[in-house]
Amino acid sequence: MELVQYLLDLSGIGRDRVQLRWVSAAEGQLFAKYVTEVSNITRELGPFDPEEFRLPLAAVEQTLNSPRIRWLLGLTKQLTEQGNVYNEKLKNEDFKKLLQQAAEEEYHKALIMAALEEGPRSVRQMAEETGLPVYTVSLRLNELERCNQAGLKEYSGSTPIFMGM
Amino acid sequence: MKVGNIEMNKSFEPKILAFLCNWCAYAGADLAGVSRLQYPPTIRSIRVMCSGRVDPVYIIDGLKSGFDSVFVSG
Repeated sequence: MELVQYLLDLSGIGRDRVQLRWVSAAEGQLFAKYVTEVSNITRELGPFDPEEFRLPLAAVEQTLNSPRIRWLLGLTKQLTEQGNVYNEKLKNEDFKKLLQQAAEEEYHKALIMAALEEGPRSVRQMAEETGLPVYTVSLRLNELERCNQAGLKEYSGSTPIFMGM
Repeated sequence: MKVGNIEMNKSFEPKILAFLCNWCAYAGADLAGVSRLQYPPTIRSIRVMCSGRVDPVYIIDGLKSGFDSVFVSG
């Protein structure tokens, strides 16, 4: 849940679009109160246009599906409570930082892949489309190239054009 | 036409996708209905057998398909 909200913040959609509330079966009143609350929050945020956030939404979904994040989430208990193979335990806040860092990297990669899916692009075009700094794009692109997920297509003049594999 | 537009803006009814746990929030919603409590008609609920069943990807899918926000309750 925290991770989803972090990613929504990262993508500019905003964490308030997702709300979690605990209600027991005996708390009808509380349920009515929460629904009113969530409706008011959403009303303040205004309508959500998925078309406007097409790339970020695709990237967030891709990130949440990525093996790296799934593995890391699955290992939460083991890493923070039982310790790794060297019997080192991670503090909760350190694990959170690690998870957020991994999520950010995966999110950027997914964003680049989402842009490349629409056709070959140069680094500068990708940076413009995704809103990421050029340097970040080239770093992540490098990682994607190493995993054979993206590659060089051709040179347009002296500008390299990349494509998704 | 214009009046209608203004009215539309004023009464923006959010569409909220709600994932409700069968044993907690869904029963809570039922109780709210039975005891005739008023709450906004903004949620579209999906009953799940446990709120742990809700995968993060479902939330994103909800937003993708045009809901204004997603509400998970258990």
